[in-house]
Amino acid sequence: MDYEELLNTATDIGFLLLENGAEIYRVEESVQRILTAYGVPQADVFAIPTCLITTLYVDGKAHTRLRRVNSRTTDLDRVQQYNDLCRTVCRMTPSPEEVEKRIAKIKRRPVYGLKWQMAGYALTGGSFALFFGGTLRDALCALVISALLRLLVMPMEKLHTNSFFISLVGSGLGAALAIAAVFLGAGQNLDKIIIGFLMNLVPGMALTNAIRDIIAGDLVAGVTRLTEALLTAVAMALGAGLALSIMHMAGGM
Amino acid sequence: MQMFLPCFYSFLACFGFSILYNLRGRVLWLSALGGAVCWFFYLLMGFSGNDIFQYFIASLAISVYSEVLARVVKAPVTAFLIPGIIPMVPGGGIYYTMEYCIQGQMGRFASTGLHTLGVAGAIAIGILLVSSVFRWIHLLPVKRKKR
Repeated sequence: MDYEELLNTATDIGFLLLENGAEIYRVEESVQRILTAYGVPQADVFAIPTCLITTLYVDGKAHTRLRRVNSRTTDLDRVQQYNDLCRTVCRMTPSPEEVEKRIAKIKRRPVYGLKWQMAGYALTGGSFALFFGGTLRDALCALVISALLRLLVMPMEKLHTNSFFISLVGSGLGAALAIAAVFLGAGQNLDKIIIGFLMNLVPGMALTNAIRDIIAGDLVAGVTRLTEALLTAVAMALGAGLALSIMHMAGGM
Repeated sequence: MQMFLPCFYSFLACFGFSILYNLRGRVLWLSALGGAVCWFFYLLMGFSGNDIFQYFIASLAISVYSEVLARVVKAPVTAFLIPGIIPMVPGGGIYYTMEYCIQGQMGRFASTGLHTLGVAGAIAIGILLVSSVFRWIHLLPVKRKKR
């Protein structure tokens, strides 16, 4: 058994889980279980949202691999697939080449294209405008603004722009569009339209993962994500607030 | 009808959200349904007249829904939990807090802001309680295998 190769494979799977938005305990446990399944006597795994370190001790020697996570996305389909892969690996202990092949297969799995993502944003924005008590016309405005918002957010995400900037600019420009829509008579309730499309930006994912990390005892990761949730919420409010202030100063409505 | 429409909107909204998280097939439909389940429980608790309590119960409900389904469908809990809590995340609260701040209504700004934090706290505690209990179950099969 080549422990270096095993270390690489296990760390890769952990890295891919972390990169796609899995919780910390899932990453640490997965790597640990894979190493145990291959008969490593002692191993330590440490993960925070931006970094993964694996060390295994064999014959009095320590082998370490560190992987830095520079960009994270939320792809729950891939989290599920890598999680399944991890289970299979633990049960059948295939060769590293075989694992490599399966990872490549998961990497080829489809992602929704820009059109679908715009449709997703539009559906969320429109439904939430109705949900919060807006009229059908408000919902249509929120729907269009949300779709445009995705068009704006997508390239920024590709450039790895930080999430606060995305929230700030997205919410600001969206609110400006909403003001224009109401001004032109297309929308009726400015607040419902803005809340509708803002729901696309709320930090639901950061909040959920923060709590789950804290429960599992990963306090550093939990607090990091809680801060992210809070800052994103503030950035959202600031963006929309800026647009509204300018509207008030311009003496509109 | 009064209860059906909001739950339906919540279902649609969560469907849109799940697309963004790249969920597919069965999991996509079930996670969208979670949004409706969550809001159904919120409305069901409407008699209490205390919306923080309503959020708390709804959060318990969606957490149980997610933990149970995750074990049945063999998907990560978060695939159901993240889209499911979205209807409760206080987007409206954040917006109105900001609006009162701009308008200089400091009393309302403070009360809305604190209420928004309270809602977020209620959601957090709901998830925390349920997930903590389910973690015991999660630890059981590992011990059995070792024997």
